[in-house]
Amino acid sequence: MQNLLALTSRELKSFWYSPVAYVVGALFLLLQGYVFGLLITALNDPAADVSISIAQAFFGPTFFYSISILITAPFLTMRTFSEEKRTGSIELLLTAPVTDMQVVLSKFLGAWLAYVILWGLTVVYFIGLRQLTAFDWGPVLTGYLGAWMLGAVLIAIGVLASSLTRNQVVAAILSFVTLLLLFSLGIFEWFIRDPETSKTIRYLSLLEHLNDFSKGILDTRPMVLYTTLTAICLFLTGRVINSPRWRS
Amino acid sequence: MTTAIAISNLTKRYDTVTALSDISLAVESGEIMGFLGPNGAGKTTALRILTGMIAPTSGTVRIEDLDATERPVEVRRRIGYMPETIALYPELRIQEYLSYRAAIKGVVRSHRRTRIDTALAQCGLMDVRRQLIGRLSKGYRQRVALADCLISQPRILILDEPTVGLDPHQIRQTRELITALGRTTTILLSTHILPEVEMTCRRVAIIDKGRIVAVDTPANLRQRMHGIPLVRVQLRGEARAIEEALRRVPGVARVTSHGQVDGVAAFELATAAGADVREAIFRLAVERQWVLRELAQTQASLEDVFIHLTTKEQDA
Repeated sequence: MQNLLALTSRELKSFWYSPVAYVVGALFLLLQGYVFGLLITALNDPAADVSISIAQAFFGPTFFYSISILITAPFLTMRTFSEEKRTGSIELLLTAPVTDMQVVLSKFLGAWLAYVILWGLTVVYFIGLRQLTAFDWGPVLTGYLGAWMLGAVLIAIGVLASSLTRNQVVAAILSFVTLLLLFSLGIFEWFIRDPETSKTIRYLSLLEHLNDFSKGILDTRPMVLYTTLTAICLFLTGRVINSPRWRS
Repeated sequence: MTTAIAISNLTKRYDTVTALSDISLAVESGEIMGFLGPNGAGKTTALRILTGMIAPTSGTVRIEDLDATERPVEVRRRIGYMPETIALYPELRIQEYLSYRAAIKGVVRSHRRTRIDTALAQCGLMDVRRQLIGRLSKGYRQRVALADCLISQPRILILDEPTVGLDPHQIRQTRELITALGRTTTILLSTHILPEVEMTCRRVAIIDKGRIVAVDTPANLRQRMHGIPLVRVQLRGEARAIEEALRRVPGVARVTSHGQVDGVAAFELATAAGADVREAIFRLAVERQWVLRELAQTQASLEDVFIHLTTKEQDA
């Protein structure tokens, strides 16, 4: 446990020491701020649909939402393994008295905590809004929960991608394309007649569930899905870094 | 004395190449053992297996009686390892890095401060401890890696070419440090620099093409070559004919040509144990009317032992 803590804090610390953090963070916050501004304007319109809450619009699977996490996650994870492999610092890490799983988990936690912090910063928008008008905090909180849990999947995919190459750019592209494919899974639903298959696809399309989270609905099914996918990716990463070919 | 590192029948094969074939070696606890071999002999592969970085194809490694593949974490806790190529985190300061390493190596929080200070002092890093690792010269980075090895006060140190890339002054300091550490710690160090082994190691294992060709004290290895003195010969004449004739002199085991300058051909002869070939060579020179420019018998240096042991196969 002490090991994991030390490893994770190194990951997180190194992240804030690199300019990538600030560029990605600034872009993310700029984009979210812009979206938030747009939403306020739209919801302020007397003709606006009153059945849509601010949380639903902000945390729902919109274009802006998906694009911002689609870019953020690969950037946060691209360095994790590929950079250590490229420079060779991985050797000192893997020959320290830590298990492979601790290494994988710390890489994941470091990037995921950065992601959680980035999202967490957007709470100032809601605090600001709260000064002006009343709204229900419940859906906002579940909205954050959804963003963080979905984020875990994206980060785990990114970590896996990073373990597959020693080039950060390749790692970023690999996870970006994978996420893009996963996000567009919903499109296939249109072409499938079989109701069972169509149901499965709807369950597996990650963004779909954000509708529930943003409405304040806490359903265990998406949580199980997100957690399972995260665990699978981390397990696979562990297998990758344990393979003789990777270590030689 | 107990065995700190026991390597038995270790083999490592990559797709087509065999990096190590069936090596066995025991390092007693408290001794400094040198691992000597030309580049590409398999030194690094062997050390990386010891530290659990890579798995062997077959064979076992036991560190203080723990199987390295079965209990990797416990084994690694007992080892301080300095790899051949040192890559650290450039964004951290030396002190910060050592504190991180101390934490993952399980040094309890209350001891960390003093351990870091001790390691910094031992490796001459006190004055630069607040510098970013990325801004350090290679020599300093090397020392940071060495300090990292020492931080958990391991009973075994595995150092892969610890003095490569250092300036002469730093090399001397590092060797002194290794010798001093050797009083309390088992050290296995690899190198291709012979004087280093003679100066620091109690025993030497010579490795070549993935095999251990000799294990002994530096003095004994030299002794072993003593019966095989080297003879330096310079003769004026046709080099090819001279070499041919020298080979046929009874007692000559190996002829190494050192080229021809101004019609004088130089050779180095390795002789069979107990043989003195000097008079035979003199008579040969007279008989063939080659002018004798030099004829001298020299003591075998450890370098000769090394060359003798690692080139034997090619000559055969």
